[in-house]
Amino acid sequence: MGGYLKLGPTILDLDWSTVETKVKLFIKDYVEKSQAKGIVLGLSGGVDSCTIAALSALAIGGDRVFGLLLPEQETYNTRDVEHAKLVAEKFGFKTEIIDITPALETFYNSIPIFEPTEKLCKGNVKARTRMTYWYYYANRLDMLVCGSSNKSETMIGYFTKWGDVAADISPLMDLYKTQVRKLAHHIGIPKEIVIKPASPALWPGQLAEKELGIKYETLDLILYGLEHFMKIEEIAQQLDVEKEQVSKIKCRWLSMEHKRRMPLTTKIQYRTMGADFRLPRTRC
Amino acid sequence: MKEKIKIALAQISCKRGDKAENTRKIEREVTEAKQQGAELVIFPELSVTGYTMRDQIYELAETIPGHSTTVIEKLAKKTGTYIVFGMPELSEKTQATIYNTAVLVSPDGFIGKYRKMYLPTHSVFEEKRYFRPGYQTPVFETELGKMGLIICYDIFFPEVSRLARLKGAELIVCISASPATRKAFFETLTAARAIENTAFLAYVNLVGIEDGLQFWGGSRLIGPNGKALIEAKYDEEDLVIGEIHYADTRPTETFVPMLKDLRPELFDKLKETAEKL
Repeated sequence: MGGYLKLGPTILDLDWSTVETKVKLFIKDYVEKSQAKGIVLGLSGGVDSCTIAALSALAIGGDRVFGLLLPEQETYNTRDVEHAKLVAEKFGFKTEIIDITPALETFYNSIPIFEPTEKLCKGNVKARTRMTYWYYYANRLDMLVCGSSNKSETMIGYFTKWGDVAADISPLMDLYKTQVRKLAHHIGIPKEIVIKPASPALWPGQLAEKELGIKYETLDLILYGLEHFMKIEEIAQQLDVEKEQVSKIKCRWLSMEHKRRMPLTTKIQYRTMGADFRLPRTRC
Repeated sequence: MKEKIKIALAQISCKRGDKAENTRKIEREVTEAKQQGAELVIFPELSVTGYTMRDQIYELAETIPGHSTTVIEKLAKKTGTYIVFGMPELSEKTQATIYNTAVLVSPDGFIGKYRKMYLPTHSVFEEKRYFRPGYQTPVFETELGKMGLIICYDIFFPEVSRLARLKGAELIVCISASPATRKAFFETLTAARAIENTAFLAYVNLVGIEDGLQFWGGSRLIGPNGKALIEAKYDEEDLVIGEIHYADTRPTETFVPMLKDLRPELFDKLKETAEKL
């Protein structure tokens, strides 16, 4: 079996200068056309959020970029906060740090059926609470929310619906995780941030690759193969992984479409949201 | 050729993307229809795969002949029935050219296929993104009569059915995946195509909900006078069987003589004028 695509690390290589230019142009253009005063973004100290914050600052100027650090007690990591501040200093954008622990505690205490051992339910509250902060700041300051989701996690649905993925624009969403790392390196994000293990930080000790059971280097190549209509057998053979593993990832990719689209409705009338209203994004 | 035949309209819902499950359902329906005396069993458009495939179509499309047609040919042979069904057909000459195809098989094997000519690409439909249109209107001479096949949106264009009728089709089979918002159009057009061609028309629509699209069913067998001989339920799976007598065409054709009164010279004018629209 063979094909024109040979899955290997170099297949994900792009001209990073061109990518940088494209992303910056996209951000600048959207902010200008929206007539927004700037960008608000969640800054966790991880490579994705640091990269998009830096690119935003390079695109529209650091004085128009507001990075919100929203740690909470359970997953607090001094190193992440230091990394976020380091990048903010290097690229010259504003930050604010707010401990969201009291807000979370109040929320948990208000839920009659709250169950602390259900860590995913609880973790999702954290992601959605952060989203609420971003949008409060964006509304209050007449800014846009810029997301830091990458293509790998968006494809497999490794995010909180209406949580960390919520944004007005997501400029990195067409770059796989390993590509974001390379872009980060290219624009000068410090190495310790680029190479540190990814974590959604929904609960203590959560590590993305451990939870997913696969390294991003392999995951990205599998997803790249699926993106290019390669068959499961071909991907498995080229990457020397089990067919079942590829099949599982494919299934996860397909079954997570509900997290990537507007809520489904039933078509009743002439034109319908998510079906045949096909309007450009316009500002009148 | 038989003078009268029993036709089953197998109004099914499909499991999207699951060819094995849909083929099993086709087998169950054919077996049931045969027990009730049906000689021809008709399934909806893209009944092997479901209608709303989007990008998954590239891995679901098959050549004809191929696995799915072989399975259904065996079924036709085993049950002694003629079967019409729909599937995405992969061109044998390319790797990603796909047609929206209706297939006719008989107890003796594959008879022929029709590739949808009019591909809706408006409102909720995106068929031109995925399919290449067909260019032929074949008519199949079988022991059950001369049959022409059309698919769903083709029915909005009278020339497709007309061409099949002029080539001798006395039964026009229209397989469909029509969402509920189009119901009124199809209820009118199925009768219109039968009347204007003085032919029998068997319309079989999908039911079920796929990606928010609700298919309305309402399959029907219509006589040359435009009257429904049998009708399936709206919105739910159904299997209805009706009988047609080809001799019934004659009284309609005599006093509603659409074919006798055709004016071929108008077709040239139609072409000229349509090109300048």
